[in-house]
Amino acid sequence: MPEYLETTVDKFIFRVATDRVYSPEGVWALAEGSRVRVGITDFLQQRNGDVAFVHMKPIGTKLAVGDEFAELETIKATVSFFAPVRGTVVEVNTDLELSPEVVNQEPYGKGWLAVMEATDLEADRAKLLDPQAYLSAMRSQAEEELKKQ
Amino acid sequence: MSISNERANIAVLGGGPAGYVAALSAAQRGARVVLVEKERVGGTCLNVGCIPTKALATTAELLVRCKRAGALGLSIPQAAVDLPRLMAYKQSTVEQLVGGVEQLLKARRVTLVRGEARMIRPDVLLVDDAEGGRQEISANHVILAPGSITAEPPIPGRDLPGVVTSTGALDIDTVPPRLVVVGGGVIGLEFACVYEAMGSQVTVLEMAPSILPGGTDEVLAKRLQVILRRRGMAIQTGATVERIERADGALRVVAVGAGGETVYEGERVLIATGRWPNTQAMDFEKIGLRMNGRAIAVDDRLATNLPNVWAIGDAVGGWMLAHKAMVEGRVVAENATGGERKIDYRSVPNVIFTRPEVASVGLTEAQARNEGAEVKVSQFAFSANPKARILGECEGLVRLVCEAGTGRVVGAHLMGPHATDLVAEAALAVQTGATADDLAWTTHAHPTLPEAMLEAALGFRNAAIHMHSR
Repeated sequence: MPEYLETTVDKFIFRVATDRVYSPEGVWALAEGSRVRVGITDFLQQRNGDVAFVHMKPIGTKLAVGDEFAELETIKATVSFFAPVRGTVVEVNTDLELSPEVVNQEPYGKGWLAVMEATDLEADRAKLLDPQAYLSAMRSQAEEELKKQ
Repeated sequence: MSISNERANIAVLGGGPAGYVAALSAAQRGARVVLVEKERVGGTCLNVGCIPTKALATTAELLVRCKRAGALGLSIPQAAVDLPRLMAYKQSTVEQLVGGVEQLLKARRVTLVRGEARMIRPDVLLVDDAEGGRQEISANHVILAPGSITAEPPIPGRDLPGVVTSTGALDIDTVPPRLVVVGGGVIGLEFACVYEAMGSQVTVLEMAPSILPGGTDEVLAKRLQVILRRRGMAIQTGATVERIERADGALRVVAVGAGGETVYEGERVLIATGRWPNTQAMDFEKIGLRMNGRAIAVDDRLATNLPNVWAIGDAVGGWMLAHKAMVEGRVVAENATGGERKIDYRSVPNVIFTRPEVASVGLTEAQARNEGAEVKVSQFAFSANPKARILGECEGLVRLVCEAGTGRVVGAHLMGPHATDLVAEAALAVQTGATADDLAWTTHAHPTLPEAMLEAALGFRNAAIHMHSR
């Protein structure tokens, strides 16, 4: 079980798992040897609402940093997510087909999206944010969005 | 045996949607028409196809709506199927429509000859009626519309009691606790949805890697599979049925897939593996009619290789759809009465009455790219359509395929409430060469389902109003 950093913006509480790194847009990457498990943050799942359908790039897809690897259709929006590292999709979370709500319920756990075989994990990881840095970036983003409402 | 002779401008063999439309249309154009039909007019569509299945689907959908009526503020304590009345409703709908076609034929003075026809010369049909009478019908033009028959794959055990084809599945005396459907195409899935609504636990076995016919938009095919699975339907793709056995009061369907042999049990098994052109028993080849496999070969005017012999409907292959057959009937009626028209299949929609419905017209993204076209797909989800929200049916999508440069609509793929009705607008766009902008600047009434088409059209310029993409 990961530990979490927590922050409250307005009436919302957002958690950030401490055992992984983050793209600035809020895709997390958890190293597992040469492989990387990827998913979306608690902030992103709350911001986008209940997930209804998940479309993932198929196994074998080669991705550069910033390539779309998943599209989530929620009740509010269609949202694209981009690869945090270079590599090849080797596994997708097929459980989400029948139970997409798991992305909302356990964004850092059973709601993972895909596993990638990373091309150069060390180099790519160095460009990602640690939990504290992501927390700060996410906080500003959340405050910014609340101001718009 | 008495032989009578009949002389006509046009003789039509087969009274299904292809043949009766050809007959009515030719008669409108002043031809003296004889229509030969061995059973009842209306063909597969009216008698054992589109119409009775849609009657069943209508009741199934109403049942599903009743079951969730509580959420809409309506208390329906016990919605249940009354099978004898359902069968009566289905049959009376068929009777009304068959009767309607018969009336039209009479009104247009089309001579209806009941009996089994053979073509003995390119201009002569020989008809044997049920009473042993024989008629020779000679005509200036002969239109062949013999339709299709249920494909019967050589699966051992398909004659066992409880194993039915689509025709058998229309007559429901009891709702089986478990139904195994062999074939995940249009017919199989429509029946799967009907039986599932009535309470059967349904398993669909499909040989191909995906359900729905080849050429269906991949996103929609995948999504339908997900939606049906979420409802509890078991769908196994890549499964080839080896045999059907009877054991312990149930039927066992043995299928082979990637994981080896698997047995699926059910009280009833529906074989829905498609249809074949009904040409095998007709000896067409003996009179020199050129065939294309089981189908009658035709050119783009629907002319066969024999002079003044035309062929239409399921018998010429392609999509086996009543409305495709009907438009062929109209084309041929013109060509056999001095007109000159080519068949244009671009705007023939394909419609599937599953829950949710699926409909498409024109090219898919993959087909367009294969043809070398640069296209842009614009998608809009019914979850953001107010009317779909009111109905509580938000699982669907509209996917509009447009030429990247001009925005000309080359295809549309829909899933959702009334998708089979909504596709008409897209068919008009494809037929007339309308662009996404044409659709987007056509004001669509609010709140209605067609607004989803408007929004998808707006999406071509990334300007959908009611959907946010991040």
